[in-house]
Amino acid sequence: MSDNRYNAIVIGAGHNGLAAAATLAAKGKSVCVLERANQIGGMSKSASLGGATVPEIAHLLYNLSPTVAKELQLSLDTRALPTIALAADGNHVHIQGNKASYADKRAHPDAQAFADLQARLKKFAALLGKLADSPPPSLSGGLLAAGNLKEIGKLAKLGWGLKRLGKKDMREFLRIILSNAYDLILDEMADGPLAGAVAADAVRGAYAGPRSPGTVFSLMYRLGNGGDVRLPMGGMGAVIGAFETVARKRGVDIRTAVQIERLVVAADHVQGVLLTDGTTIHAETVLSSIGGMQTMRYAGVQHFDVEAARRMRNLRNKGTSAKVNLVLSGLPAFTGLTAEQMAGRLLIAPSALAVERAFNPAKYGEISPEPLIEAVIPSLTDKAAAPDGTHVLSAVVSYVPYALAGGWTDAARAKLQETVLETLERYAPGIRGLVSHAQVLSPADIEEMTGAPGGHWHHAEMGVDQILTVRPANLVSRYGFGLGGLYLCGASAHPGGDVMGAAGRNAALQVIADGIPG
Amino acid sequence: MAKPKHVPMGLLETPFFSRLNALSRVKSWTGWAGYISPLVLDTLEFEYFAIRNQATLFDISPMHKYRISGPDAPAVVNRLVTRDVSKIRDGRVGYVMWCDEEGMLIDDGTLFRFSTDDFRLCCQEPMLTWLLDSAWGFDVQIVDESDSIAALSLQGPTSWSLLNDAGLGGAAQLKPFDWREVEPDIWVSRTGFTGDLGYEIWVPKAKATALWDRLWAAGAHWGLRAIGYEALNLCRVEAGFIAAGVDFQPVHAAMRLHRGRTPIELGFDKMVHFDKGHFNGRRALLAQRKLGQRYALAKIDIAGFKPADGALLYHRKKKEVGFVTSGVWSPTTKRNIALAEFKTPYGLDIVDDLWAEIYVNQEGKWDKRLVPVTLQDKPFFINDRARVTPPRPF
Repeated sequence: MSDNRYNAIVIGAGHNGLAAAATLAAKGKSVCVLERANQIGGMSKSASLGGATVPEIAHLLYNLSPTVAKELQLSLDTRALPTIALAADGNHVHIQGNKASYADKRAHPDAQAFADLQARLKKFAALLGKLADSPPPSLSGGLLAAGNLKEIGKLAKLGWGLKRLGKKDMREFLRIILSNAYDLILDEMADGPLAGAVAADAVRGAYAGPRSPGTVFSLMYRLGNGGDVRLPMGGMGAVIGAFETVARKRGVDIRTAVQIERLVVAADHVQGVLLTDGTTIHAETVLSSIGGMQTMRYAGVQHFDVEAARRMRNLRNKGTSAKVNLVLSGLPAFTGLTAEQMAGRLLIAPSALAVERAFNPAKYGEISPEPLIEAVIPSLTDKAAAPDGTHVLSAVVSYVPYALAGGWTDAARAKLQETVLETLERYAPGIRGLVSHAQVLSPADIEEMTGAPGGHWHHAEMGVDQILTVRPANLVSRYGFGLGGLYLCGASAHPGGDVMGAAGRNAALQVIADGIPG
Repeated sequence: MAKPKHVPMGLLETPFFSRLNALSRVKSWTGWAGYISPLVLDTLEFEYFAIRNQATLFDISPMHKYRISGPDAPAVVNRLVTRDVSKIRDGRVGYVMWCDEEGMLIDDGTLFRFSTDDFRLCCQEPMLTWLLDSAWGFDVQIVDESDSIAALSLQGPTSWSLLNDAGLGGAAQLKPFDWREVEPDIWVSRTGFTGDLGYEIWVPKAKATALWDRLWAAGAHWGLRAIGYEALNLCRVEAGFIAAGVDFQPVHAAMRLHRGRTPIELGFDKMVHFDKGHFNGRRALLAQRKLGQRYALAKIDIAGFKPADGALLYHRKKKEVGFVTSGVWSPTTKRNIALAEFKTPYGLDIVDDLWAEIYVNQEGKWDKRLVPVTLQDKPFFINDRARVTPPRPF
């Protein structure tokens, strides 16, 4: 629009921002998306490195919301990947769905226990997953307050779902929902790479070890959409591209490389956004996919109640995941893996205990010397990712503290790279020699690049105190954020992070439900 | 070896304790914000009538006092309290209330303005952490002056004459809610909790006893008496002032749900300035203005002479509709008066056929009486000497 006037402005052109914009546009609203970076995508984007294309931050889809994919008619080609839990002794475990066996096809002694546990968790996760597609239930104003009928219905449905599990399962669900993944896993199986793989999935991105309470919930969250791990063909850039295509088709304006000075506020209501170049973009609705604290700062803390500011200050969002992208001059050889298996999701999490131990240094601002690594070589599945003969290895490395003692210097990044290479070398001897280019992004770098507070995977820790009706904090869970017309629509909002899109879509629907001026 | 420093145990003595202790005939003390404070020094009657007929000193040093200063101080204070502080000029004092995000009263107090960006907030409840939270993100300094500033409340019809005799005649031109530094380190405000002519005098702790002795020396001629809280309490109910923890429960100190009350429910709609921009609890208070208040605090006159503190209130002698939060026999107005909380619409739209249930013990025999209740809109005690400037000598 030429006069810079829209029904709504969305801050941040990540998957949630674009999901919000496209959802609003589908309801006939004019929407403008503002992105600080030169390129859209946020955490889901491709970058070029040494002639190859790497998934810059996020590299796999664990949890893309089927509702979002369906509503936005996302055109996306993905491949389900098996998971390979690497073992130092070469007894790697191959996991596909609920089936686990050794990589060399021998039966795994805990295969049945694993299958049962996965089946149980997925059953529970499906129940929770239903909560992901709408704002969390709220009964503010009391049971009899007008408009709460729908909310009661929502709760009743959850209750009915719980009841339908049967007495035994319901009891089990309630027993484990707030407990820790470590005990849950080791109740069922011996500790080792298989247990380690489950434990690592429970804590990826979290400032928590598998022994931390609430990690069963985060494990279920991961399994909420079936637990498939999928590699997008064309890289993460194709994922954001799919969101972008839909948004643009619906008439959304997307502006990159624009820096927000502040929100324009009058009469307790947002009126638009002032950019640093002096341009004002007018809209009486602003959805922000960045963190609550930055959003509050853009609006001005004086417009918020003291309690709201306090909650934003106290949000737990210490990121623990770093990203290391390597361009390799040839295919590395992982001992004991076929080329087909190497194309899977490679996990270095030797045991649940090792995962817990790896968390310890991060608590004290140190990089774990035995980090957890989730690596994928996308170029094995998607030939277009790297020029002939070369390959790309993308690694999510935990636990790497956001606030590193001594700060994130180039030397610190080099040390992290060295630690990662050392670890990989144990499973793929000679990989070091293949590295032609490397990119290391600390949680602090990720914050800087994307605006995700603390560089946190989910923008705000998925702890019991920060989920559902209190996500990211009390009184913000329905997306509305203090000022009239201001909403949170990013990963810090319900249901949470992962390249999922549900938070953005839900926020947009809440905006519509609240009534959008103009 | 140096004596180890430790956190003081038990109740602390205020800077005036030595003087109060010497005057205390009945040794009736209470704890007030961690300090020893007199309930009665001699007899309640002497002390009460001294407030209304002579001059009295009450030690208000235990009040919490916070200095709020810096470029953003006006913004911080205006976001904190419900009224528009920009209307309070230099050298003025304002009665203020502040709320949590749900619009429930955290506390009330007096705001003293030194200059555009320098304030002192006086209140009953400890407020430092709340003020620090309120100040986050602003260029402002919060200093807890509770223990470094001592203060005396000099109240009563002869208080001006006494001040003048004590050499503090610079306070002559002070109108109600004015304040001024009449001598280096002696700030006098024309404020108080009695509804009568009176002043509050603020000095650094080190100068406290000198101030007391100076006022005391000038006091004999003006009938000066030191008083305790009980006499003051009678006067504050007569003046219709509310007390924290009595007529409302400071919401941060309340343990149970739904104990908070909004300024609107306490009858202070006029203190809530919705047009000044955002302040804490504004959105909740706006919603309440739309949906209607749940409670109404009111001044009531109760038949008979038996103080009705805590009495339940009924409509048509049947339906329980509220209770008395502060009830006293007012010796000056010769009326049985009280502040009472009603569940709306009682006390707001329904004001007739209201009754108080009073229990009396007549020499060992309990009796229950239902007596009529009448709502009052003005303070029970009103006297123009409280407002005339310069004050009349007596």
